Amino acid sequence: MPVDAEKEITKLWRNLHNAQAEVGKTYYRWRQAALEIAGPGAKPLEIGLKAAEIFGKDIGKSFLPRLNWLKGEEGFMMSLGRAFAGSWVADGAIATVEKGETPSEVIIKCTRDPWPSWAKEYGVPMEEVALCRERLFQSILEDVSVFFSISLKIEMLKAIPRGHGETVFKLYKAE
Amino acid sequence: MAKLLYEWDYSEYPGAKKYPHLFKPIQIGNLMVPNRIKYAATEENLNGRDGLITDAGVAYMRERAKGVVGGLCFMQGVYMDEKRQGQGYVGQAAAWDDKFISGLKRIADAIHDQKAVAGFQLMDCGRVGAVDIEEGHGPSTVPQRLRVFKPMKEMTNAEVKVMIQQHIDAAKRGIAAGFDVMEISGIVGYLISNFISSYTNRRTDEYGGDIRGRMQSVVEIIQGVKEALPPDMPLGIRLCSEELLDDVRGNTPEESMESYKIAEEAGVDYISCTLGWQESIYPVISRDIPMGNWIYLAKRAKEHVNVPIQMAYRLFRPGLPNEKIGAGELDIWEICRSMIADPLMPKKVLEGREEEIRHCVACNLCLARLFRDAPMTCYINPMCAHESNPEFMDPPPAKEEKEIMIVGAGPAGLECAYMAARRGHDVHIYDKRNEIGGTLNEARNAPYGDDELWTCVEYQKVMCEKAGVNFHLGTEVTEELIEDEMPDSVVLATGPAYPKIEGPGGERDNVVNILDVMSGKAQVGEKVVVWGNRKPGIGVALHLAKQGKKVTIVGKDKSAGFDVNPSFKWRYMIYLRQNGVMAYNDANIEEVNDEGVIIRSYDGYHWPIKCDTVVVSEREPNESLKKYVQSEGIELFVVGDALVPRNLSSAVHDGYRIGMRI
Ligand SMILES: Cc1cc2nc3c(=O)[nH]c(=O)nc-3n(C[C@H](O)[C@H](O)[C@H](O)COP(=O)(O)OP(=O)(O)OC[C@H]3O[C@@H](n4cnc5c(N)ncnc54)[C@H](O)[C@@H]3O)c2cc1C
Ligand SMILES: Cc1cc2nc3c(=O)[nH]c(=O)nc-3n(C[C@H](O)[C@H](O)[C@H](O)COP(=O)(O)O)c2cc1C
Repeated sequence: MPVDAEKEITKLWRNLHNAQAEVGKTYYRWRQAALEIAGPGAKPLEIGLKAAEIFGKDIGKSFLPRLNWLKGEEGFMMSLGRAFAGSWVADGAIATVEKGETPSEVIIKCTRDPWPSWAKEYGVPMEEVALCRERLFQSILEDVSVFFSISLKIEMLKAIPRGHGETVFKLYKAE
Repeated sequence: MAKLLYEWDYSEYPGAKKYPHLFKPIQIGNLMVPNRIKYAATEENLNGRDGLITDAGVAYMRERAKGVVGGLCFMQGVYMDEKRQGQGYVGQAAAWDDKFISGLKRIADAIHDQKAVAGFQLMDCGRVGAVDIEEGHGPSTVPQRLRVFKPMKEMTNAEVKVMIQQHIDAAKRGIAAGFDVMEISGIVGYLISNFISSYTNRRTDEYGGDIRGRMQSVVEIIQGVKEALPPDMPLGIRLCSEELLDDVRGNTPEESMESYKIAEEAGVDYISCTLGWQESIYPVISRDIPMGNWIYLAKRAKEHVNVPIQMAYRLFRPGLPNEKIGAGELDIWEICRSMIADPLMPKKVLEGREEEIRHCVACNLCLARLFRDAPMTCYINPMCAHESNPEFMDPPPAKEEKEIMIVGAGPAGLECAYMAARRGHDVHIYDKRNEIGGTLNEARNAPYGDDELWTCVEYQKVMCEKAGVNFHLGTEVTEELIEDEMPDSVVLATGPAYPKIEGPGGERDNVVNILDVMSGKAQVGEKVVVWGNRKPGIGVALHLAKQGKKVTIVGKDKSAGFDVNPSFKWRYMIYLRQNGVMAYNDANIEEVNDEGVIIRSYDGYHWPIKCDTVVVSEREPNESLKKYVQSEGIELFVVGDALVPRNLSSAVHDGYRIGMRI
């Protein structure tokens, strides 16, 4: 049977993008549900941060089997960084990891992020998107730190509203 | 005897001889209007966010009042409720309190200064309103089709009565401000049309039900306003003759005509025949709709009512309205966008200066700007919304006369040339082509009305000739030529450069340039990939698809037509689909090979596309001659696509601005 590669790949690619878009939409629909249940006094940012904490804790668990301290400090930090970037890429972002100034530091850069566009569609402020991303990453790290008994930290150095430009995180081992 | 505000005698003007029906008087109610021309109400977002009139708004209207040469000149529709549910635009004028009267009076006075008839319009934007607040109002709570619009809340019976009274009160303020004609706006999905339409009115009280019930609030408004008006002040209404909402079970054309009859019975003195809603899935006023497409609706309206019928909608030239008025199928020629593009358009028609008209290209940027809460702007009229700035409207002569060499006679070069020459410079414009117009020579061949872009060049040519610009066509400007001429200033208007496809195969013979394709010089196969997803890429793709070729677009922008304003872009998306053109956006060509091309998506996937020809429509800034001119210490300006590849609008605006200050 002749296979039209262009058609097949395009179909997959389109489906992938549709599925990614559903991720964002589902999240924001649930956010709305939470807000409505919480009632008129609810603070959207607080709810968003709480969700980021819950998501982060769960995602953090999936990081544990993939990490290996035997790779050495630099190797460990790079694969941890890649796990962060990978979770972002799965949603449709372009995120990469670079070595930092020391072996115990890596930089995660995101040059394209679909979340701000999804958020805009649901009227969610851009600060909330950035702050929730930071809280998500921080809470992913909590179990990883305990598991390997290392004090790991992640900090947002730059956040670009609307998903253009670059969002930059520094992941490092605290002394 | 009907009241006549100002005497106008057109008999000696060439335009009145050529278009006699446009320049004969008409009685509307008890008012005599000297001609058949009307500047239709137009929001321009030039007023304060508080609804108060600004200098910019007054100056904008003054120019349009000059243009109608004694005819009707309407200010934008005002919103009438303090809660601002009826406000559809951040800079919309308001009339919900007497404090607005003095500002409104400035507009009426500015119109009267030009001996024109001043029109006031009442416009609650209904479903398209609540621009600055969270919830709008309407006859029923029908969800919005477009996310940009605010949710609607059904008005209570008492609230409908308040709304009716608000119309009457606002009308009184219009009278106090000195206007001569009153108009109710019931167009494009605003509140009045929401009440009339079976799509948005599901009420069960006296303001809903059949078409009579759905017209009840309109009838009460008409009667209440009419009662408030002095006897010689006519009242009109803009009403949909076709909603174009069949897909959501809107009114039938018969119901629309019934609404005309009911409005006439209620006492209006004229009806402005409109069509379509902002939510309609059919286009009404974009360039792809031929001029004159809708004029049959005026004739139909006249078959149903006796009051005068006015109509706009792509009537961009005087010939057709003149003919239809002569044939008794229309009474007044309404003009909106053509007078955004050239406020003096009808005046130039009257004076026999039609070749000096800067024609609207029906791109709808004016509308797109309003929906983005920005002040009005015009694609091809750089003076629009700068009417209050004399430096912009009539730039002063240059302090010192210079010899200026303009390289490139495309729209950017031409615009700059006449403006600089008008200010006293000795201007020489060069083009290596034998004709003027630059890339528009090719762009005009794209389908769906792009031939109208050429009107800009025709206007610029006349302006250049009048200003004494020297043309050097068929002359390529080289470093040697610049050295020989040694001008005081050089303006590079050389258009864009076309990059090579980086990667294997980029230099193959089957990779051809867009201009060669559009002019028919290049051989193009049956399966084509167009590289570049901005408007030129879309234009060439549609041009080829219309010839039956299978076309695929590959471009770097996140969406195709990123450079086309949203009010027009949706049309192109439909045409691409209809013509079977696939667009891969956010992607690039990595290789050209025997089979076709390999593309790479932004997220790193590769795949092949079979084709026999690749058309390059990607563009980049043009660096040629720049360094040389700088190194010679000659004053240098770069305009249009040479600076950054964009579009006709940027070319014109760049050219005008540099021409103003050089
Ligand atoms: C198929 C197609 C469709 C398009 N559709 C649209 C559209 O719908 N809307 C829109 O706004 N825009 C459209 N465009 C783009 C539009 O045509 C350009 O943006 C516009 O023409 C740019 O004007 P310009 O004066 O800067 O340059 P150009 O029009 O490119 O003119 C540059 C001129 O400089 C001359 N020149 C260059 N070097 C020299 C030299 N050394 N000596 C002498 N002469 C020289 C060239 O011969 C050319 O005539 C389209 C373009 C194409 C190709
Ligand atoms: C920018 C813009 C603003 C408009 N504002 C109003 C308005 O305030 N009231 C109204 O009744 N119609 C308004 N209209 C509709 C026009 O008056 C006119 O009916 C329509 O543009 C079709 O005419 P045209 O093809 O001559 O542009 C507006 C149209 C445009 C393009």
